[in-house]
Amino acid sequence: MLTTTHTTTTDDRGAQTGVVAYLFTAAAVVLLMMLFGLLMRLEQAQLIEMGPQPFYKLMTLHGAGMVGIAGIAGAAVMWHFLRQYVALSTGILMTNLALFLAGVVMILTSVLLGDFHGAWTFLFPLPGQSMGMWSTQAAALFMAGLLVIGVGFLLLHLDIARAILARHGSLARALGWPQLFGRDDGKAPPPTIVASTMVTIVNLIGLVVGASILTMMLVNLYVPGLQIDALLAKGMIYFFGHVFINATIYMAVIAVYEILPRYTQRPWKSNRVFLASWSASTLMVMFIFPHHLLMDFAFPKWMLIMGHVIGYLNTVPILLVTGYGALMLVYRSGIRWDMSSRLLYVSLFGWAAGAMPAFIDGTISVNYVMHNTLWVPGHFHTYLLLGMLAMVFGFMYYLGKPDRDAPDGLLDRIAFWCYTGGTLGFALSFLYGGKESVARRYAVHLPEWVPYDKAGAAFALLLISGALWFMLRFFARLGQTRHDHARTPEPASCPAVTA
Amino acid sequence: MSITIGPLHGRARRAARIEQLHAPGLAPASLIYLLLATPWARQWLEATMSAHMLVQIPLLAGCGFLAASALGEARQARLLAALGGPVPCLLAALLASSYWMLPRALDAALVDPLTELAKFLTLPALVGAPLALAWRPLGAIGRGFVWNNLASMLAVLGWLYLAAPVRICNSYSVFDQTHAGWSMVWLALGLFGAWLGSLFVRPLSGPNRSQTRVSTQEGQAWTT
Repeated sequence: MLTTTHTTTTDDRGAQTGVVAYLFTAAAVVLLMMLFGLLMRLEQAQLIEMGPQPFYKLMTLHGAGMVGIAGIAGAAVMWHFLRQYVALSTGILMTNLALFLAGVVMILTSVLLGDFHGAWTFLFPLPGQSMGMWSTQAAALFMAGLLVIGVGFLLLHLDIARAILARHGSLARALGWPQLFGRDDGKAPPPTIVASTMVTIVNLIGLVVGASILTMMLVNLYVPGLQIDALLAKGMIYFFGHVFINATIYMAVIAVYEILPRYTQRPWKSNRVFLASWSASTLMVMFIFPHHLLMDFAFPKWMLIMGHVIGYLNTVPILLVTGYGALMLVYRSGIRWDMSSRLLYVSLFGWAAGAMPAFIDGTISVNYVMHNTLWVPGHFHTYLLLGMLAMVFGFMYYLGKPDRDAPDGLLDRIAFWCYTGGTLGFALSFLYGGKESVARRYAVHLPEWVPYDKAGAAFALLLISGALWFMLRFFARLGQTRHDHARTPEPASCPAVTA
Repeated sequence: MSITIGPLHGRARRAARIEQLHAPGLAPASLIYLLLATPWARQWLEATMSAHMLVQIPLLAGCGFLAASALGEARQARLLAALGGPVPCLLAALLASSYWMLPRALDAALVDPLTELAKFLTLPALVGAPLALAWRPLGAIGRGFVWNNLASMLAVLGWLYLAAPVRICNSYSVFDQTHAGWSMVWLALGLFGAWLGSLFVRPLSGPNRSQTRVSTQEGQAWTT
């Protein structure tokens, strides 16, 4: 057993300017992307009329923008807490943000001025064969923008790897392998280190693969004679994209590991089960992506079987350990609920609920009929909105809290329910649409699909109003975010503390 | 090996020179270089595209790397400063190595003795040596970036050799080209795997302080 005890002091560390800049950027971009999403649902619901081309342009921006900004928001959470254990470079943090913004400008130019609308997946050979819908230069700008963003994240993860190695000696130690496979000396690394190490390992691999396929496709754009195997390209794109978007929630969950224990005055222990689950997921996250390729019969059979099996297995470890851990942490702790703890707690529900449709869709026989329907957007919108983003909003409320006993306003509570209820309704409109075989990525819907779209648009409006309030609250409290002060209320019946 | 800083005179200078000649790394570098220059080694290594690109060229660059690494730290620092710092050195290495990856350059080296001589001079001097000088000052992040970029671009280069619809070297067959392409892809995977794997086994320096925070002014400070 680990012999971890804890001591309490009064202050919670304020955020560095870089972290605040990340969150500010994230809030602004998320809001813009949400509005793009709403416009798409309104178009499908036939409440507005913009036409297919603007729809696909918005879809491209919405997809690429949300994936990228989820990375930025997750990185903010991870960096804020990780720097309390290891010495990270602020310069690299800001370089990543600068490269991200440069990449965003390139992507916006490509889509808005160059009319590129080949979706964030930029699947080969679509970018180079637009049939006159966009130019080669527009496609190149889009992919170069992604490459620039990838370079920024590569630098960020290299810095994190450097800092972790400087303190823990090796990635194996940072994952707690000596304690997992050897004698438990009670010196297992804390959850933040374990999670950051896992994210760094998988993202470094994903980014190298992503850079390779982006460069290959850029070459192919200008020298079409240099052909790319379309299946290889799809596999590499999905490997890179899936690892990256998965990693965002593994970064954001650090907020749960760090903040909830402050509310309950109970430590989140890195026990063997915890370490084993993170090590298992380090491996499985890299092999799960074929569950998006199950309809591609031409892929090798072993890859599809691997996607099926690992799709089942990977749903369990971290989610179960984190969910169960959070329940145990909160149970009879006397926790005083406020916006931050509420959002963090509900995020675990969102993560779990969002993973279930993927679990079902990962079954090959189900996948054949469900994968190209709205079922899949139902999965990732639940997972990202009520899981990943709820963690980020919880983190924003935590940073912005003026003092530990500052009460939440009525509007905060209303916004919480608008966001939670809106997201559930919004996701269910997708999932039910999927059940009814509504095809995804269609700008124009059949009349019998429109009622689900209308419901989806209404719930989207509700969740956006909640998110907008969270963001306004954060913007209004920007001054508080940088101060060191107590942010978390003590439990109602504070348990005995050993120092 | 001692580090010499500032001007040296007389016996001290001679002693430093003798010490320099005995520096570890210089002798192996010279030996490998001379071996590579022998007609037998040249014929053997230039017979296939894979050996030419992935054995001879890296070994020539490696000789330059070893030789520059054998210079004392102070000499390396002076040389690096004279060359403008690590970034120009890295760029020089990148450009020179890129040139020798061109099929046309390989062809020319096989038929033109002057180009062959240029290869034997520029790879150690413009690739290996600048890389050695820049390597430490690049820092952990810079070195990590170089490794990741090398792996990624080597894989892309391998694909280019595989995907090329024509025979790209007059001196080598299409079979050679395909073999070289796959070799580059596998080498890229191996290099990246080795780099990442090395991060898992690096020995711990200093005590394990994994449960303590950088700052003690935290709301939740774990101790063991």
